[in-house]
Amino acid sequence: MKLMTWEVDDANIVNLKIGGFGKNSLTVNGMEVPGRLRLRKKSEFPFELSDGRNANILINPRFASRRVIELRVDGQLMVESGEGPFLCDSCGTTVKPNDRFCGVCGHAMPPAEHYVHRRHIKEATTAITVLAVLFLFGGVVMFFITKSHVADALIRLNGLNPNEIFPKSINGVTYTVAVLREQLIWEPWSILIQNSILAAIMAGLAFWGKRSPLAAVLIATAIYAVVIVTHAIINPQSIGQGVFMKIIIIACLIRGIKSALALNTADA
Amino acid sequence: MHDSSRNQTEQYCPICRRKLRPEARFCISCGRAIDISTDAPAPHELKQSGSSFKSHWKEIKQIGCLFGLLLSSSFVLGMIGRFVSPPWPQTIASGADALIVFVFAGFRYREILPLLDWPKLSMRSVLELVALALAFIILLNLYFTLIKSAGVPIVHIASTYSNAGWHVGIMLILVSVMPAIIEELAFRGVIQSTFEHIFDKRDALLIQAALFSVLHLSPIVFPSHFLMGLCFGYMRLRTKCLYPSMALHATWNALVLFKELNLL
Repeated sequence: MKLMTWEVDDANIVNLKIGGFGKNSLTVNGMEVPGRLRLRKKSEFPFELSDGRNANILINPRFASRRVIELRVDGQLMVESGEGPFLCDSCGTTVKPNDRFCGVCGHAMPPAEHYVHRRHIKEATTAITVLAVLFLFGGVVMFFITKSHVADALIRLNGLNPNEIFPKSINGVTYTVAVLREQLIWEPWSILIQNSILAAIMAGLAFWGKRSPLAAVLIATAIYAVVIVTHAIINPQSIGQGVFMKIIIIACLIRGIKSALALNTADA
Repeated sequence: MHDSSRNQTEQYCPICRRKLRPEARFCISCGRAIDISTDAPAPHELKQSGSSFKSHWKEIKQIGCLFGLLLSSSFVLGMIGRFVSPPWPQTIASGADALIVFVFAGFRYREILPLLDWPKLSMRSVLELVALALAFIILLNLYFTLIKSAGVPIVHIASTYSNAGWHVGIMLILVSVMPAIIEELAFRGVIQSTFEHIFDKRDALLIQAALFSVLHLSPIVFPSHFLMGLCFGYMRLRTKCLYPSMALHATWNALVLFKELNLL
């Protein structure tokens, strides 16, 4: 069960309870709004606030992510209370989510869209951190797996003369046994080093993302795309591995770019 | 007197007629100062510049397209390379890259054309550029010597061509001249100038260098090629021209080639 709350103003609090089996209930100041709310499909659910203003719940299923549920009052997006904390940029006072100005110093509060953008950027930064951890973890695991494979292969190469040319060509290139041995011994270390470099870059980008999110998320997306393609070149079947996670991460990153760009252009 | 009266009766904003909070000094819905003695700030509207978002998003998508196409060209090269013996796939892929980059350079010809004018450089800046180029070559040489002594195997470009018996002149064009022109046009031309609309000059320089290093598809050369990207991008910023970085890029590639062929 999930509860969403919108404090529209001092006189109107809208609550949406999402229960199992389609048991959803929408209340305005504790009074239930009649009618059935469907959350599966793209839909709208119009109702009235206590002062007669038009309110509308919009449901938008989104690709590779949770559905978006938003409340609009007279066409204006409302901030969900979970997006907080809501602090005035100028004086630091805690304000109500949908105040347009700070009650203490009169500073303009950002529009509701900003909170959504900030959340997207935060999610993208989290995705970059997750990638850093995955690269590090994956690198260590792959190191040990490859090492044991290489040990087996080296035993098989032991019987061959070092100057002999290995009968099978690898990716169109033929190697002598001695060169092949060298390459095999290097293989696990190369995997470990490459993944550590990637993990370090991602960690650096996640850190830099706090200062300039657009640049950091942009570079992280490019690097992740390159990593996926490189793996696909080495082993075409690897595209299918963890494809859902890949799509979710890329969708998250692209949303982060879009939101960071929106905030950048709004500030300017 | 004033305060006690405010606490007892409900107060409404004189401008927008909304109910005020008991202790509020400003109206939360229009930003109007309630206490007349404080200077009333002009209730300023929040503005979102939607048009600049749209144009910048379009530019980012365009760069994404260029990057994606170059990446898929490498992917196709990798796939063909499994069945066709080198160096034909490499040759075709660099031809495809050239085509892609020229199309995108055509899209952004307004920014590219001024970069192709002959630069007017003073003697001093020429000397500075030469010093930078020398420092760059020494530093990169150091990096690759370090990597080599650590035992990291590096892909040799030249061997694929020389094994097939191709002439040195053709190799020089394919390995040194063509990539220099194409990559400079793409990264220092299209990408850097486009990102200069969205970011400041420093961030645009960093991002294009990052994209440049990443597109070489090998984490081991990320640091060295990031340095290359920074150096070329800086040259392009200083001279507002692509030729110096093209020359240095071609020189570096030629040096690597000659080294592999044991001509140096």
